[in-house]
Amino acid sequence: MARAYPLQRKPLRTSGNPISVFSGLTSFWVRRDLLWHMTVRHLRGQYKQSVLGYAWAFVNPLSQMVIMSFVFSTILKLGSQNNVPYPLFLFVGLVPWLFFSSALASGTDSVVGAASLVTKVYFPREVLPTAAVLTKLVDLFFGFLILAMLMLYYGRAPEATVYWFPLLFAIHMIFVLGLTYPLAALNLYYHDVRFLVGVVLTLWFYLTPVIYPLDDKVPHKYQWVFDINPNAVLIDAYRRVILYGVEPDWKKVGLGAVIAVGTFLLGYYIFKRMEAGFADSI
Amino acid sequence: MRTASEGPEIEFRNVSKSFLLRDSRSLRDLAQAIVTRQPLGHQFFALQNVSFTVDHGETLGIIGRNGSGKSTALKLIAGVTAPTSGEVLVVGRVSPLIELGAGFHPDLTGRENVHLNGSILGMTSREIEEQFDAIVEFAELEEFIDTPVKRYSSGMYGRLGFAVAVHSKPDLLLVDEVLSVGDAFFQEKCLNRMREFKASGMTIVLVSHSPALVSEFCDRAIWIDHGHLMREGHADDVVAEYLEKIPHGSGVGV
Repeated sequence: MARAYPLQRKPLRTSGNPISVFSGLTSFWVRRDLLWHMTVRHLRGQYKQSVLGYAWAFVNPLSQMVIMSFVFSTILKLGSQNNVPYPLFLFVGLVPWLFFSSALASGTDSVVGAASLVTKVYFPREVLPTAAVLTKLVDLFFGFLILAMLMLYYGRAPEATVYWFPLLFAIHMIFVLGLTYPLAALNLYYHDVRFLVGVVLTLWFYLTPVIYPLDDKVPHKYQWVFDINPNAVLIDAYRRVILYGVEPDWKKVGLGAVIAVGTFLLGYYIFKRMEAGFADSI
Repeated sequence: MRTASEGPEIEFRNVSKSFLLRDSRSLRDLAQAIVTRQPLGHQFFALQNVSFTVDHGETLGIIGRNGSGKSTALKLIAGVTAPTSGEVLVVGRVSPLIELGAGFHPDLTGRENVHLNGSILGMTSREIEEQFDAIVEFAELEEFIDTPVKRYSSGMYGRLGFAVAVHSKPDLLLVDEVLSVGDAFFQEKCLNRMREFKASGMTIVLVSHSPALVSEFCDRAIWIDHGHLMREGHADDVVAEYLEKIPHGSGVGV
């Protein structure tokens, strides 16, 4: 019979060896059943005992889109971008942003929230933040359903370049996970981290071209702020492939991918280094 | 089934475990501690230089008063916490019966929780499917298996937790005072199941306040007091010495 555990192990040894990142990732794959059940657990818990249930996954992005369109399009007169109506332009950026921010927030709390488990039984702890992030994919899916309806309303079809979307989103996923791991670990030691995440997300929203386009109006000397921000690079790329029908700026996406993968490797490594102390710190 | 090792199933080599008892956990206090070079809290030793081994198929009892370090030892075996110094070696799949049903989600049904808890304990989906009926039957919850577990009584909760743990085919079963769940009838059922496991050659570590249970059930025992290993040996001998040295009535009970 195949065993999910190696037969010989030294429980929870911290190791300074970067190779351990890769051996950690393989044991993670071995426990994918656990990841699946944990994601379902999160998902069930999320909207339980709320009257609207999963309808909340529609209410949040929809209401934000309506109010932002009103403020920025009707009042501040931000017109259509590249012949794309403003609400549509906004929404293609807003949906991935909402995924990013809610995944980061819930991932940060995921290990603390599973205190009773963490102190009692060993399993690869990275399952917890990963499941929290995966759970938010459901909200993202609903967001894209609304986007589809919105595009129907404006009589537009996604451009042919949309096939680049999965690749771009994969980079986004790696980036979110890479940020979530160390934050979930640090939040265990210092509960300030969750508040810090809230503040940083608010600031980060304004530095990400969700409500405004990433175009020539951005002063040249500040361009780097957006270049090193994978959220900005990816949201711009989503708009290009879904709405404008042009290829992403591969140089920038390439840099974004490097940053995302770097963040992931470093974040996972930090998480594994701190993992041994989790049960003692809750 | 066992491919690894001829040696002991569990080995503690000079294991110490200390905790930093922190009074606060805010960044402000951390900054203050760094500036003033004060320690963030004080060191507390739960275990000090403890060495022992448990062979395959052995039943080890751990006795001691409250706060003596028994549960810390169990957590080290479970792999939940890491030793501060020394080495803990454990072979095989460990199924901890530490607080039954710890991994249950109140909003999920009994059925869903069996799948969740089973996968936490390291079972694959297929293993859970194979064992599912046996788990439900053992827990005597056929009627309620599709009810959210928040509607369960604490006894039902514990029964389901115990049932999943014993059906996860562990190489090593860790039991921490869990036999206080359920009614006398179910307790007897659990004990019987543990006797069967023992007879089948499974390694079992039992932590208990009850010297009677340890001497009845275990082959060997260790007595831990204030983090020190006081005595290791035949269960009856260790229990007898424990009862002699510890004033009667302190910290006894199940």
